[in-house]
Amino acid sequence: MPRKAKTVPKAKSPARRARVQTVDATDALIAASAQALRLPIDPAWHPAVRTNINLLLKHAALVEESPLPEETEPAPVFSA
Amino acid sequence: MLEAANDFAWATIADIATAVAAGRASALKIVEAALARIRARDPLINAFTAVTEQRALHRARALDEARERGQRLPALAGVPFAAKNLFDVVNLPTLAGSKINRDAPPATRDATMIERLEAAGAILIGALNMGEYAYDFTGENAHDGAVHNPHDRARMPGGSSSGSAAAVAGGLVPLALGSDTNGSIRAPASLCGVFGLKPTYGRLSRARTFPFSASLDHVGPLARSTRDLALAYDAMQGHDPDDPVCAERAAEPAAVLIKRGAEGLRIAVAGGYFKPKTAETVYAVDSVAAALGANRDVIIPQAERARSAAYIITASEAASLHLDRLRARAHDFDPAVRDRLIAGAMVPASLVVKAQKFRRWYQREVLKLFAEVDAIVAPTTPCTAPLIGQQTFIFDGVELPVRPHLGVYTQPISFIGLPVVVVPVPLAPLPIGVQIIAAPWREEVALRLAYALEAKGVAAAPRPSE
Repeated sequence: MPRKAKTVPKAKSPARRARVQTVDATDALIAASAQALRLPIDPAWHPAVRTNINLLLKHAALVEESPLPEETEPAPVFSA
Repeated sequence: MLEAANDFAWATIADIATAVAAGRASALKIVEAALARIRARDPLINAFTAVTEQRALHRARALDEARERGQRLPALAGVPFAAKNLFDVVNLPTLAGSKINRDAPPATRDATMIERLEAAGAILIGALNMGEYAYDFTGENAHDGAVHNPHDRARMPGGSSSGSAAAVAGGLVPLALGSDTNGSIRAPASLCGVFGLKPTYGRLSRARTFPFSASLDHVGPLARSTRDLALAYDAMQGHDPDDPVCAERAAEPAAVLIKRGAEGLRIAVAGGYFKPKTAETVYAVDSVAAALGANRDVIIPQAERARSAAYIITASEAASLHLDRLRARAHDFDPAVRDRLIAGAMVPASLVVKAQKFRRWYQREVLKLFAEVDAIVAPTTPCTAPLIGQQTFIFDGVELPVRPHLGVYTQPISFIGLPVVVVPVPLAPLPIGVQIIAAPWREEVALRLAYALEAKGVAAAPRPSE
């Protein structure tokens, strides 16, 4: 009787692995934040919330790359 | 004998006020004509969410009686105007474009800007549709329906002061109040082809308006000419202790200065990030630059990063404002607004503070430019009005979502509160606006240049074809 071939799971590419990790990290952030902030999130909203958080984090990454002096004062309200 | 009030449908504010003050037209007839236009045309545009007919008629009669008694009428006598529905209006709930605020008690006092315009003789005739809680660039509203662009009703008017721009462009009122956090006066002014002023942050009082993102919120007028914009702006200036951000500065009247035009002013065109990338923005910016003799470029440093920082601060401040509503009534939000607010609530504070630190650096660097130039010319929107419901557009060869990208040129400017006048360039078939950006507290510079462009025929608020 021939041996049954084993199904070998397809290895994830580095890019796919990174994407999965990002999704996992964002989902973890959503779950933890929703709990901490007592924000009810309908599962149907989850994909859109994830998209928006990822967009915000992308913007934040661009800001974070700015080499500001450590002593820079925040400017919460503009004044001339 | 009084002139027919219909003659004033497309008249300037100055013409209306002069005619009423001289007794050549009655305020009552002008208001009745405006109300008739709203009844006839607003079903096609959807700019109004409330019409304050009895209040307007009462005030108009009072003005006419005052004139008959020989009293001198103020500068804006008999000028009908309307306000974005985030301004408090006595006896109306302040909707701010939402479903949730319909349950709020009616306002007991008008917003300061409405009080000041009415003190100058203008007459409020209604409240205007807007994007929910001002978190919008399109003019679509899940509760009150989309506002339609008067130049092509299949197209969006821009937001979030959608009703304000459409009501002025469509000839329903000669003046409207809007608010601008990231471009919400400027984007609709551009897409609807009207003049708009976003003053310096802290110049005009926001007292008794529903906020969006406190450190970025401005209010201002939209009109069909520079002079009208300046007259309304002058009537609204001055410190107001009811708005803690409103600067303790005396009014600096601008209308008397606008005829000085471009003389003696150093004008540059914004390059780099702001370089126009579509045929219509190239044409509009080039036309304005040529007419003003703008013969040099400046680079506004790190504008893309400024937009990102504005994006983060907006999302987090707005989320903080709406947190209780998100907990209690999340299903009653426009989904497109709700999902962004929820995401904004989850941005770590450390990233928000970083954005605030960047704002300090950026402000200092941009203000250095004004040692060399008095005004900077830049596009307002990346395109003319997209179709209502259109999700994406091509920008710089890339397909991008419409909703967040209509503010790509406006966000880096309001981020540090610089004053801007949007001038409409009357392209066919659709107009588009150009930003004239000035140094803080120099609104009159931008208004002078707008006036010069109007005098040369480069800027004009086109009248819709029907």
